Amino acid sequence: MHSRVNQWTSNVVEQCLSQLAKLGKPFKYIVTCVIMQKNGAGLQTASSCFWDNSTDGSCTVRWENKSMYCIVSVFGLAL
Amino acid sequence: MSDVAKDKAARLLKKRGSVSSLSSHEVKAKETIGKTKDSMSTVSYIDEPGQQDDNPRPAVQMENTYQLGPAKRFPVATVNNILKDVLTSYLQEEKYEAELCRQMTKTICEVIKARVKDLMIPRYKIIVLINIGQLNEQNMRIGSRCLWDPTNDTFSSYTFKNTSLFAVANVYAAYFE
Repeated sequence: MHSRVNQWTSNVVEQCLSQLAKLGKPFKYIVTCVIMQKNGAGLQTASSCFWDNSTDGSCTVRWENKSMYCIVSVFGLAL
Repeated sequence: MSDVAKDKAARLLKKRGSVSSLSSHEVKAKETIGKTKDSMSTVSYIDEPGQQDDNPRPAVQMENTYQLGPAKRFPVATVNNILKDVLTSYLQEEKYEAELCRQMTKTICEVIKARVKDLMIPRYKIIVLINIGQLNEQNMRIGSRCLWDPTNDTFSSYTFKNTSLFAVANVYAAYFE
């Protein structure tokens, strides 16, 4: 189980990035993925960005199943 | 199952992108919850994607600088030290508590951003990402991938651990052409 998590994170991030690249927009992307086992532990996440508010943005998706949580964040910076 | 959820999230994202392109420069936070079998996905939209093609940017006329690369590069080692300093000073003796760590995460984030900005590196956009979690015999994997120009853009990362919590800080710097 633990060995596959590595692969899952890589896959999620790579597929997200390739699909974003396929959009063909003039943006730089940063994709982050956190996968955590459900074990009663708490997690806090914060992000602070120094950019141009009118052209750059971010998006976060939280997903879970019976045994784990997955949080994916995408930051897009305009060129 | 996870693919279905991801596809749904991706479709929701695309749909929302095209609907909100009519209104500009608004900050919206939207959430929808889609349920599929025994997995749940929530999509939150912090900001809208920029509209590169349709509306022109407001009035600022930019001249050519004829610069091919950044004048001053991003100092990864300095930023590493900043991250180490800030995380150890704020979290050395702390125990994980939900409310305290919630405030702590936001504070540390702002502090790191302010210190990186103080370095005065021109034309770089900065993204600071902090994860603080409880150590509870669980396993966790954090990964990130970036689509950018590797000659000019870089990142810096530091992990701090004490007996009851761990903290991961990532700083991404992208050159603004």
